[in-house]
Amino acid sequence: MRDVSETALHVQGLVKSFGRSRALDGLDLEVAAGEVHGFLGPNGAGKSTTLRCLLGLLRADAGNVQVLGLDPWRDTVPLHRRLAYVPGDVTLWPRLTGGETIDLLLRLRGVVPAPGRRAELLERFALDPTKRAGTYSKGNRQKVALVAAFAADVDLLLLDEPTSGLDPLMEHEFGVCLAEHAARGTAVLLSSHILAEVEHLAQRVTIVRDGRTVLSGSLEDLRGLRRTRVRARISGTSEGLAGLAGLGGLGGLAGVHDLVVGAPGADAGGAAPEVEVTLAVEPEALPGVLAALAAAGVHGIECGPPSLEQLFLDQYRVSS
Amino acid sequence: MTGLLTHRRAPDEPGAGSGTGSGAHGAGLLARAALRRDRVLVAVWLVVLTGLVYASAAATPGLYPDERSRIEAAEALTSSAAVVALYGPITDPTSLGELAMTKLTVLYAVAVAVLGLVLVRRHTRTEEERGLTELLGSTAIGPSAPLAAAVGLAWGVSVVVGVLAAVADVAGGLPLAGSLLFGASWAGMGLVGAGLGAVTCQLSASSRTAAGLASGALGVLYALRVAADVGPAPLAFLGWLSPFGWQTRLQAWSDPRPWVLLLHLGTAVGLVVLAVVLRRRRDLGSGLLAERPGAAEAGASLSGVVGLTWHQHRSALAWWTVAVAGWGMLLGAITPGVGDLLDTDAGRTMLQALGGEGALQDALVSAVLALVGVGIGAWAVVVVARAGADERSGRTEALLSTATARGRLVGVTVVLALAGSAWLLLVAGCGLALGGAVAGATLSGSVWWAGLAYLPAVAVVTGLAVLLWALSPGWAPGGWAVLVGCLLLDLLADLLDLPSGISELSPYAHVAAVPVQTVDPLSSLVLALVAAALLGVAWVRLLTRDIG
Repeated sequence: MRDVSETALHVQGLVKSFGRSRALDGLDLEVAAGEVHGFLGPNGAGKSTTLRCLLGLLRADAGNVQVLGLDPWRDTVPLHRRLAYVPGDVTLWPRLTGGETIDLLLRLRGVVPAPGRRAELLERFALDPTKRAGTYSKGNRQKVALVAAFAADVDLLLLDEPTSGLDPLMEHEFGVCLAEHAARGTAVLLSSHILAEVEHLAQRVTIVRDGRTVLSGSLEDLRGLRRTRVRARISGTSEGLAGLAGLGGLGGLAGVHDLVVGAPGADAGGAAPEVEVTLAVEPEALPGVLAALAAAGVHGIECGPPSLEQLFLDQYRVSS
Repeated sequence: MTGLLTHRRAPDEPGAGSGTGSGAHGAGLLARAALRRDRVLVAVWLVVLTGLVYASAAATPGLYPDERSRIEAAEALTSSAAVVALYGPITDPTSLGELAMTKLTVLYAVAVAVLGLVLVRRHTRTEEERGLTELLGSTAIGPSAPLAAAVGLAWGVSVVVGVLAAVADVAGGLPLAGSLLFGASWAGMGLVGAGLGAVTCQLSASSRTAAGLASGALGVLYALRVAADVGPAPLAFLGWLSPFGWQTRLQAWSDPRPWVLLLHLGTAVGLVVLAVVLRRRRDLGSGLLAERPGAAEAGASLSGVVGLTWHQHRSALAWWTVAVAGWGMLLGAITPGVGDLLDTDAGRTMLQALGGEGALQDALVSAVLALVGVGIGAWAVVVVARAGADERSGRTEALLSTATARGRLVGVTVVLALAGSAWLLLVAGCGLALGGAVAGATLSGSVWWAGLAYLPAVAVVTGLAVLLWALSPGWAPGGWAVLVGCLLLDLLADLLDLPSGISELSPYAHVAAVPVQTVDPLSSLVLALVAAALLGVAWVRLLTRDIG
């Protein structure tokens, strides 16, 4: 039934203003069917506004928006039968219990959960369905929305910072649920500023800032484009160390960034001083860096791909 | 606004509650912030209450110029048990002030008590439920500060209400001493109402349940006074157990007992102390009444936006029905006594000219229905304001992210506002007819459904409220301003001799005085068309604007 080649989300040049403030300023977003897509940006970048436009709650001022091949503003109801949404700030009807709310939301979407699925999810998220929503904490309100979203299979999940109120155990459970749905072919748009969460779950990410797409691609592509973090311990002569930081050593290499050379430890035994060196290096400069470190007397080294955190920070630094 | 939120450090007086862990430090700051948020609400209540006092005080000398006419009117009033049940007894039939303030001493004092209660609830349990108190609790304020601020605000406003009421009485030509005592008794009702609100807001974790408990308590206190005033003599002591009983037992206008005011004050202070003790015994966000676990699964009726909307409003509609039916029956039961009011030679001649006592009773019913018609407009306003609040809170977003069409949500809201109003108008007419029949009145048969004549006017109010919601969700409570405007136009049109062009701005001015007059199909049609046009514009806007 599901067309694999179908694009789950296609957003091009999306513009949305509220009065004089321009919340979205030509945003682009592309999510393939069955893909878990991280939607990253700081607070106020326009993530929630984008999601509301995707749901047809807000009317786009300009741009092309297609969700599951439909126009969310015109085909709202048929579209909403095929998706589930978890808002960033879940507000519920205070006098309804959690269980009643879950059933209500499922019925409003016109979907029937698989037998036992609802009970299983309540168990997994440790949610008491007999409590009234007015007495739930933020995390529990979020669980209600998540159970309702996960209880039935849909073609698209729109999740707006879904784990911001969950404890680490529940966050793990959320990841497992998300992976299960993704395995069944559900496309997921996962908005977050928690980079670690997206890093574990998403195949591709889009980074937005000030209502505009800054960067989009698969995690491998983005990492390939970026630098390697190097941390080395060096013991050598004071002169050698001084040269390392200077123009003749690492400091003079093109493609080396964020170089920090620690102060030599004052060793009472008179042995050679030991320092720690950290730096970020672009792939083409890597041989030169390794040679310089070897010359300086390296005896310990750690290398790794940059975390999304660093990627994110780099991206902001470049564009601001 | 400048300086409002500027924190002024309290002087370090020795032993000024520092370090006790239960102080009210910061309450002054909170009270000022609360007053700023409530400035419109408080101003409207003050204007309406003061206006009612002044209008009643100023109008009475013209209606009853000499002592003989006053005695006749007072005796006629007290001869009907239903009137006494509603307004309380008249202790001195010769007193101009007491006659002028008959409706205000006990019945309208309910409004003052409710004002105190509403102010306290808004700034304690409602904010606690919304999580605002938690945020405040993390700042450098004492744990009792929100409660102290709310009570302080409500007490301050109550005292202002009392002062303004006394000034309005004096301005209306009533004696100074009585006016002061009357004003003090109103202030006292405000203090007690605030105390009642403070206690009930500690009991339940839900602000709606707290409001229900407080309304129930007011109802019981009113009933105690009714039993004392119209029941057999051995029950008379019950009047001393109710603040509403104290209002007439104060005897403000002649042979006064000023010490009765100490009962108001003592009760208010006692209730607030109780509230503080209860507050200290519970956690933030919880109540003393345990929440019962609810259903783990939704019933079959909770299946769509219709079921949800009904679920949200059904208990409120049930309470409205009970209240409207009760008031209808009570006022219906008063009608047989109304002929006695005009038991003079001139009055009897006028009575015959009007078509006998039955016609006079119909006239009273039509006057009651005119007010009930405005009152039931409040149902429609409540429903629409709730829709606006749902949108602002994000519940509408959750609803519309499902396969729920916007038109359906708007349609359900409008239908509930109109159908609920129609139902309540029918209940009001039936209550009046039933009460009248039981008390032996000779009302015309059309009273049963006469209330429905006001439906087109209520529909116009609904249309305006929905239009405000359509313009912006934050404006949805503006329906209250529409309703208060209608009420003021209706009440003040004759008193202030307003030109018809202004008084006819109220849709209620175009409704025939049923059952005395017959319904004018043309004006009903025009009102219905105006309502339809307002709803049409609102509909288009609601289906095309951003949500949230």
